[in-house]
Amino acid sequence: MAVSVSDLRDKFRNPGSAELELIARYAMLPENGQRERAFEAFALTGLPHRRMEAWKWTDFKAALKSVESSKNASQSEALPSGDHAVIEFSARGVTLPTNLPAGIRLHPRDPAQSLGNAEDVPLGAMTAALAGRVGGMDSLIIEVTDEVKAPLHIVCKGDRDETNFARVAVIVRPGASLDLIESHLGGSGFSSFLIEIGMQEGGEVRRTILQRGGADEAQAITGVVTLGEKSRYLQTALAFGAKVARIETRVTHQESRSHAEINAAYLCADGFHADLTSHVRHGAPSSVTRQTTKGAVLKGGTGVFQGKFHVPRTIGQFTDADMQHQALLLEEGATVFAKPELEIYADDVECAHGNTSGALDENQLFYMRQRGIPLAQARAILTEAFIAEALEEASESVVEAMLDAAHAFLAETR
Amino acid sequence: MASMLNLHNLTAQVGEGDEAKTIINGLSLEVPAGEVHAIMGPNGAGKSTLSYVLTGRPGYEVLGGSAALDGEDILEMDPEERAAKGLFLSFQYPVEIPGVPVMTFVRTAMNAQRKARGEDEISAPDFIKMSRDIAGKLNLTPDMLKRPLNVGFSGGEKKRLEIYQMMMLEPRFAILDETDSGLDIDALRTVAEGVNALRSPERGMLVITHYQRLLDYIKPDKVHVLANGKIIKTGGPDLAHRLEAEGYDGVMGEAA
Repeated sequence: MAVSVSDLRDKFRNPGSAELELIARYAMLPENGQRERAFEAFALTGLPHRRMEAWKWTDFKAALKSVESSKNASQSEALPSGDHAVIEFSARGVTLPTNLPAGIRLHPRDPAQSLGNAEDVPLGAMTAALAGRVGGMDSLIIEVTDEVKAPLHIVCKGDRDETNFARVAVIVRPGASLDLIESHLGGSGFSSFLIEIGMQEGGEVRRTILQRGGADEAQAITGVVTLGEKSRYLQTALAFGAKVARIETRVTHQESRSHAEINAAYLCADGFHADLTSHVRHGAPSSVTRQTTKGAVLKGGTGVFQGKFHVPRTIGQFTDADMQHQALLLEEGATVFAKPELEIYADDVECAHGNTSGALDENQLFYMRQRGIPLAQARAILTEAFIAEALEEASESVVEAMLDAAHAFLAETR
Repeated sequence: MASMLNLHNLTAQVGEGDEAKTIINGLSLEVPAGEVHAIMGPNGAGKSTLSYVLTGRPGYEVLGGSAALDGEDILEMDPEERAAKGLFLSFQYPVEIPGVPVMTFVRTAMNAQRKARGEDEISAPDFIKMSRDIAGKLNLTPDMLKRPLNVGFSGGEKKRLEIYQMMMLEPRFAILDETDSGLDIDALRTVAEGVNALRSPERGMLVITHYQRLLDYIKPDKVHVLANGKIIKTGGPDLAHRLEAEGYDGVMGEAA
């Protein structure tokens, strides 16, 4: 081993025991320049914590006192994959499907090629540094060369493990398209998934995400997406949270006339925390972004929405962007934090945003009860209808399953 | 024999603390089964408040008196229990329920009521047939019934949807709160035909209205004048015409 653990440790300011464990693991991995750069980036912040502006509501350092296996591991179900291809990431590495549709090629590689600026996101950098193993593979390149109709599933699930780190790079060739469905089911004390998506001219990716971890688990899903000319990126997430969970998405409109939709619904029960954070840079003219995030939180649950649109001068001209976040606080003692930000320097743009949070409408509840629908059922119906709008763009093959999952959650908690 | 709806010396307030205001003030009223009674009264008399007190809207507190449906005290029941017992309110301002199609909503309500009464759910074919028959009578198209309830409907359409729900749910006792407001003559006639179709010896109705016009189409057995939270005068259908001619001031002056 060329570097000593103590040298690595010195790069961190006040590393906690979880960070010391991560440093020790990194030291065991084969040396690699790319991994080293990612590790250096991670060392700048360590596990992100509340004194960092972008993490003030979602503190991984506090949640992860140490890296240990989940005691009450999540038993969540993956989105239904039928007979479609499934890529599985577990604590034992990646398992590849044998029924890959034409137009998709998989290249297991350690580490995966870096496409975006994952290093800018602390947990992206950490995952890039730590996804890897001796004698196995945690990283994969997915190359899409054609319009692929059949959905491709990724399932990340631990089995009472300490960690499950995985990294995927998706390269979408010109005119190619992918229906990507991800189930992030926790099951490990600390799960972290990094996906970098590079879309070339006219490419399309529909990405559908289910996040559902356990009450003593930390979970991060980091996406870094670059859009080529006239490409389309349609992301829909349904998050149930974990002890702490964050779905962070960074999108760059790299070439003109690209289109991005970033929608999400979050449902948080007592003791669960779901964070939806996104950053969209309009780095090319005439690009469109649509964002709808809806959440419903019960007593003791926490929802976080942070959205930012950055529209630079000149190159951001003719941007058309809209950001909406609406949250329902279903009970006293529910918590929602929201920070919508528009940072606009170009002068010929259409940018809008809306942000509301409140309780269910008393008039609607009474109207439904007057018709004979019991209060708890009325609440569940209204909440389901409320969040369903954010799930409309999910992959057709799983949209019903997502609505069912939301329905079951609301029926259970009433 | 006791009447179907029996209100005795009912007193109720709306609001809380310093904001509380007594709106219903010693109101007594009886509606026997099979009868349709009209309640008329000036603005602020307590007409809508009465409908909310009877259906159990949160924020309306009963201070005294009693209200019974079929001899059973309803004041301690939740709104949904009263609905399952057969109490229906056609709202003056129907509420939008986004994301829930009309038919889904009504079927959910119907089955919730049946469950509360210990009955089986309605079968899908029976429900669809019943819905088609009733929608046809009210000039509601199948397409309208697939749209979210009251979202994007005109005022007249919303009132017809209230009557559609009433006909589907077949209540024991129906309160129609200003069902005529916002209706043109054709819609008024359609709505009145729907209401008249529901008249039966097994059912009672309370029709709350500002104007006598609706009562030309729905002939009441009795007309009550509500003012300052109590019934100040009761008469036959001709009382509605007198109110129209003389105004509330005239009739109220006489009663005082």
